[in-house]
Amino acid sequence: MGKIKVGIYWAASCGGCDVSLLEIDEQILDVAAKADFVFWPCATDTKYSDLRAYQDGSIDVVLFNGAIRTQENHDLARLLRDKAKHLVAYGSCAQMGGVIGLANLSSRKEIFTTLFGEKSLWPQEESNQDGYPLHLPAFLERVLPLVDVVDVDYVIPGCPPPKEMVSKFFEALLEGKLPEIGAVFAAEKNLCDECPRERKEERITRIVRPHEIEPKQDSCLLDQGIICMGPATRGGCGAVCPLANMPCTGCAGPTANITDQGATMLNAIASLIGTGLEGEEELEAEEAILAEIDDVIGTFYRFSLAASIFKGAQREQRG
Amino acid sequence: MAKPNDNGFEPKIVAFLCRWCSYAGADLAGVSRMTYPDNIIPMRVNCSGRVDAGMVMAAFERGADGVLIGGCHPGDCHYVNGNYKTRRRVILLKRALAEVGIKPQRLHLEWISASEGVKFQRTVTEFTRLIKGFGPSPMSEDGKN
Repeated sequence: MGKIKVGIYWAASCGGCDVSLLEIDEQILDVAAKADFVFWPCATDTKYSDLRAYQDGSIDVVLFNGAIRTQENHDLARLLRDKAKHLVAYGSCAQMGGVIGLANLSSRKEIFTTLFGEKSLWPQEESNQDGYPLHLPAFLERVLPLVDVVDVDYVIPGCPPPKEMVSKFFEALLEGKLPEIGAVFAAEKNLCDECPRERKEERITRIVRPHEIEPKQDSCLLDQGIICMGPATRGGCGAVCPLANMPCTGCAGPTANITDQGATMLNAIASLIGTGLEGEEELEAEEAILAEIDDVIGTFYRFSLAASIFKGAQREQRG
Repeated sequence: MAKPNDNGFEPKIVAFLCRWCSYAGADLAGVSRMTYPDNIIPMRVNCSGRVDAGMVMAAFERGADGVLIGGCHPGDCHYVNGNYKTRRRVILLKRALAEVGIKPQRLHLEWISASEGVKFQRTVTEFTRLIKGFGPSPMSEDGKN
């Protein structure tokens, strides 16, 4: 039996996912011993024509990181789906659109106008540069998660995926014990389940941003008024952010039973806030607390907007 | 009363009504033979606190042009504090709607008790007129650009 064939592709991503593969330390030697990287634009010089030459289903596993932003990302997702036995959404962007998905709050037109100014300056898909034709991939109207374009077999969540999850995946791959299709290489329960911080208060009476206070080490960040996405986020990372005094921002996405991560977190925050006041005073105080959340979508949907019910901005027609 | 907006658009309005107050208020409006626009699709829920943000978003996703939530007056909740949770949720939801470009007025929370059939009639009539004026929701089939 030959070596396991692994492909890695970055679509609209920052490159952090590619680097995160190296976090598995010496396990990388086992991977190198048993697997060949047949396609990895970040690290090796492989051409799309090489990839097209592979037979369908001949690459054992493709780790796909990054969101679908351009037609090139879209076409490569299709192509890699054909060539791969198993396609893995690697990282938040492939899984849910990620931070890049927040671009869905603006239309293609708005983005281009901000970047390039008037329409005559926008990049053209087809143009002629010094007598040579130049083709640029189209910029899609919306950022899409990978699953909106092709079927995805496994998910390794995280921004970037933490060492434990990546390690677990490679272990399964090298031993030929990949789980059932649809598996997510993270915990089934939410982050709070593995967070050592203790929840003591029943109510949140203020909302602050992480730099405004020095959080107590042992108690829940939500108790202290810092919005921590733990309740709506899948665990499996070992609560690394809360342990470093930073709130969870939700990069691992929702647990299996949640369809909309942001909506779930919004419910949780709304239920937890309480002032003990009554009547109009209470309403005013609650409004003041909630006004401290600067950016509702950016807070609750930092990684999941493109995969949420809203998917992005909706434009009201003038009726 | 203002002149009804007559642009030929008949909005779909999902109304989540709490079983103890607002749904009973709607019943009272019905048995009292009050008339109100038939644009609303009433959904009985046990408590307005049951209406989570995802349900409101799902209603918009499936083509609602407006969402009305009816609950017990503050202090009257059958489950003590469900309506307070909804009130805070609606504050955040309206901001989320505004941030994605949906008019936040398309979501409306009203306290309607079991004895307020008239208030139910008035609320539905006024809300329907408001949504008619707005036109189709951008998330509905009619509203997609």
